[in-house]
Amino acid sequence: MKIGLACPYTWDVPGGVQVHVRDLAETLISLGHDVSVITPVNNESTLPPYAVDAGHAVPVPYNGSVARLLMGPVSAARVRRWLREHDFDVLHVHEPTAPSVSLLTCMLADGPIVATFHTSNPRSKILTAAHGALQPSMEKIRARIAVSEAARRTIVEHLGADALLIPNGVAVDAFRDAMPLPTRPPGDATVVFLGRIDEPRKGLDVLLAALPALVARCGQARLLVAGPGDGEAVLDRVDPGLRERVRLLGLVSDADKPRVFRSGEVYCAPNTGQESFGIVLLEAMAAGTPVVASDIDAFRRVLDDGQAGRLFPAGDAAGLAHTLAELLADQAERNRLAERGRAVVAGYDWPAIAKRIAGVYEMVAGDVPVSVAVSSDSETMRHSA
Amino acid sequence: MTTLREVLLVVLTVVVIVLIATYLTWLASRLDRLAVRVTDARAGLTSQLALRVAAAGELARQCELTELGAAAARTRAAQAVLAADSPLDDAEAVENNLSRALRSPAVAATADRAPDALHAVDVAAARVALARQLYNDAVRDVRALRGRRLVRVLRLAGRGQLPAYFEIDDALPPRGGGDGKNDGDEKNTGDGTLNGDMTGFAP
Repeated sequence: MKIGLACPYTWDVPGGVQVHVRDLAETLISLGHDVSVITPVNNESTLPPYAVDAGHAVPVPYNGSVARLLMGPVSAARVRRWLREHDFDVLHVHEPTAPSVSLLTCMLADGPIVATFHTSNPRSKILTAAHGALQPSMEKIRARIAVSEAARRTIVEHLGADALLIPNGVAVDAFRDAMPLPTRPPGDATVVFLGRIDEPRKGLDVLLAALPALVARCGQARLLVAGPGDGEAVLDRVDPGLRERVRLLGLVSDADKPRVFRSGEVYCAPNTGQESFGIVLLEAMAAGTPVVASDIDAFRRVLDDGQAGRLFPAGDAAGLAHTLAELLADQAERNRLAERGRAVVAGYDWPAIAKRIAGVYEMVAGDVPVSVAVSSDSETMRHSA
Repeated sequence: MTTLREVLLVVLTVVVIVLIATYLTWLASRLDRLAVRVTDARAGLTSQLALRVAAAGELARQCELTELGAAAARTRAAQAVLAADSPLDDAEAVENNLSRALRSPAVAATADRAPDALHAVDVAAARVALARQLYNDAVRDVRALRGRRLVRVLRLAGRGQLPAYFEIDDALPPRGGGDGKNDGDEKNTGDGTLNGDMTGFAP
């Protein structure tokens, strides 16, 4: 199929949507589809051969952070040319309510459009206010995909439409084949934590509180902590006698993330806040590292009710210490969990996810591919806008 | 003698008329596009329903399930007489009946004898659920726009019948590793390829 993907955020700025679009595009290409991506970009030389430059996004301060907008006539002309030159069977826009390339594509294109919604944004005032203005573009979308239950709820609340739930994919190969870090702690009882270290909801404090009891039962136990934040402040909270057992890596690059998982015997996700989806757990499972996680809805679902990883009551340091000590002492059980984890994550491997998405393309494009022509009324729309 | 004021008045009138005409043309084009979307979605839904009844008939034939065979035959007959422009909801009752027949224990028991035929039924059923969601989505959007007062008063949508929602019970048959634990997920995704790709979930 000829597939056009629209990415609303700047390609060479790190972000989850960009990674999703890149992985999806490359997987679809490897499955034999003809794919072109249009995206804003700062440095055009960073674009892969399958991507087209939509122009520079303009940063606009909004609601305490910076939103990057791309709605000018130059970008509109580029989107129009992209549509005309490619004659797509189906268009797949990402985050189409953001004022950028995806929304422009919806406004300018005709024919089958699929949209993926990534963020959950309960009670967004902007979305509610813009509902009427967005509706003409949104009603061109034939199928909506949400990457998480929370994102799906946002669509239902703001757009009054339902969506299919197809989660983010995981690049399983990259995690499975990664080498452990050369700086990994000595011994064979290392617990990995990954996430912002000063964000209480990520639960590092629960893990630190579990450390003394853990060391008492498992003399080799060590923590490998990866993630941005104030490391000094974290070490201050650890018993001085145990500080040498905590190794802080700081912020790790996306490329190093698989290596972090491969550097420990167990990955621990002690999150206390509600997470919308446990993508990090899946990444650990892809790396073959057994998971110990808080018993919260999203994690319980990913871990198959505790079959594919150990759950402990959220916030319970004693329970965590017990679970970790038990697992660190039991190599056979770790192997079993790793195996189960690999089976679970296979369902989230990019080829599997991309095939499900392609199934939606086929459904909206119909048996006879309808070509996505440039909308005949795009001129009138511009005048009346 | 024409004053500047009269000229301005004429120009203003022309501008207003052009704006109104542009807006109405734009509204009409939205309605046209939505009509196409509903037509396509309906075609997609009816073809998926036809594939489902074909898969059900094949399973009934292979495993000699008379009850399912009868339900499939009734559904096939109803689909054959459904005219291209008649309301889709006329077909709801027979399709519901087929859904129920597909969830019967006799069908689940074919997993050993005819796994391929059963899998084909499950895939077809998931695709029906997806096609139905896309169709109802399109119907909702067209009903919203055609419900606007301006569209009603000026009859911008013509005299065509308002498309109806298609409501059937298309909950998927409980399957998946024998414990039926994944049913909730399957219903949520329901994209038709799930049974083939989610084998990783099966214990």
